[in-house]
Amino acid sequence: MANTENELMLRMHGIKKAFGDNEVLKGIDLTVACGEVLAIIGPSGSGKSTLLRCINRLEEIDGGSIEIEGEFLAVTNEAGEAEYVGAKKSRELLSRMGMVFQQFNLFPHMTVLENLLEAPIHVKGLKREEVLPVAQELLAKVGLTGRENSYPSELSGGQQQRVAIARALAMKPDIMLFDEPTSALDPELTGEVLKTMKELAAERMTMVVVTHEMAFAREAASHVIFMEGGHIVEQGEPQAFFTNPREERTRAFLQNML
Amino acid sequence: MDKLLDTVLQMLEGSQITLEIFCVTLVLALPLGMLVALGRLSPVRPLSRLLELYIWLMRGTPLMLQLLFVYFALPMVGIRLPDIVAALLAFTLNYAAYFAEIFRAGISSVPKGQYEAAKTLGMSYPLTMRRIIFPQVFRIVLPPVSNETINLVKDTSLVYILAMNDLLRVARTIVQREFDMTPFFIAAVFYLVMTAALTWGFKKLEAHYGKY
Ligand SMILES: Nc1ncnc2c1ncn2[C@@H]1O[C@H](COP(=O)(O)OP(=O)(O)OP(=O)(O)O)[C@@H](O)[C@H]1O
Ligand SMILES: [Mg+2]
Repeated sequence: MANTENELMLRMHGIKKAFGDNEVLKGIDLTVACGEVLAIIGPSGSGKSTLLRCINRLEEIDGGSIEIEGEFLAVTNEAGEAEYVGAKKSRELLSRMGMVFQQFNLFPHMTVLENLLEAPIHVKGLKREEVLPVAQELLAKVGLTGRENSYPSELSGGQQQRVAIARALAMKPDIMLFDEPTSALDPELTGEVLKTMKELAAERMTMVVVTHEMAFAREAASHVIFMEGGHIVEQGEPQAFFTNPREERTRAFLQNML
Repeated sequence: MDKLLDTVLQMLEGSQITLEIFCVTLVLALPLGMLVALGRLSPVRPLSRLLELYIWLMRGTPLMLQLLFVYFALPMVGIRLPDIVAALLAFTLNYAAYFAEIFRAGISSVPKGQYEAAKTLGMSYPLTMRRIIFPQVFRIVLPPVSNETINLVKDTSLVYILAMNDLLRVARTIVQREFDMTPFFIAAVFYLVMTAALTWGFKKLEAHYGKY
């Protein structure tokens, strides 16, 4: 990665988002530096997924601004409404992000290898021969060498999620977004996925991770955000955050998680 | 023996109309059904509602009535179509409505996550439909499309009432003339062979696409 350590990867400012009259995000500010791992935790319905999905425009914000590597994806105009950049620029900015979903969302009609090759070939227009070694390397990295020709349905949940990570990485993103990547997995399978994510973090991949895995957040995150009711209640370095939370609500939440 | 051969030859001629209606209806109604399904699912409300009405009319009234309507009512308002075209029009409009409902259900059954995954990989909407959604829909709709196709084989006999010399009408003419039931059996064999061949073909397709 060309970026230096403290260069800003993502900045979100005053993010507001409502579904109908259900205000889900009520003014969220956050920054993620290059190589940083941001963990977002909080109770169910607090807006974690929505916040994550606003980053890559799966949801559109109502107010605030989103800046990716110093370039605006969305800004708020004088009338107070969020405005997105043009389609071309938006596509370019969004192409720098990869996403991993709770439900994996692999393409079931394609083999593992085809899942990895699909976007590089059909979106980036690369040649199969060019992408093949990259895909093989990624499969090795997530520990799935030899499963190239399996269909997703033939894999365990943990294996599927690792394929999903590899598929996102095949597009060479600068930021990886994870929405509860282990929540759909049996406990004995979460470990292998978390291990893959820790390895990614160790390679200084910039990551934003919504998770219920407190151990992961404590070990792998560089920064933790605790959300409740569409607000950030508390945030900080994992060490301080977990051992000595300032807010009563954070303490109650963490107590519950143990 | 000569008589039997003669009967078979006459019936083969009749089967041509039947086959023609079957093939042309299928070739026209499948893509039309897909377009109608996409229109039904489009966020453009008037379009979606209009197509809903069309589907309701086509599925809510007998195909026989629709055939008679095209055949008799259109000429009254000055639209004269050759018999075969009138029949094909009615069949295509009717079957497109059934296919549209099948396709709509198929498209709706692909989880939202597939669109989202494709989107986060930078895939455009047309690319997503072509590479991700349609292949999955194809597999989902194969069994119901297979059913409808087999129904169509048998429904072709409805043109009987339009005085078109399809297989069934030819059979009846011979039966009435010769007082011999053989043509009915030949007709039955023809329909059975066709439905058996289709069943076999669709089984093969389902097996091929069922590998994942
Ligand atoms: N597409 C949507 N349409 C309407 N309401 C939505 C939509 N997505 C989320 N919401 C609502 O927004 C609120 C926050 O949802 P969100 O999924 O962001 O919470 P979360 O923190 O991710 O919860 P969980 O831990 O259960 O995943 C909830 O009240 C939810 O019902
Ligand atoms: Mg969520």
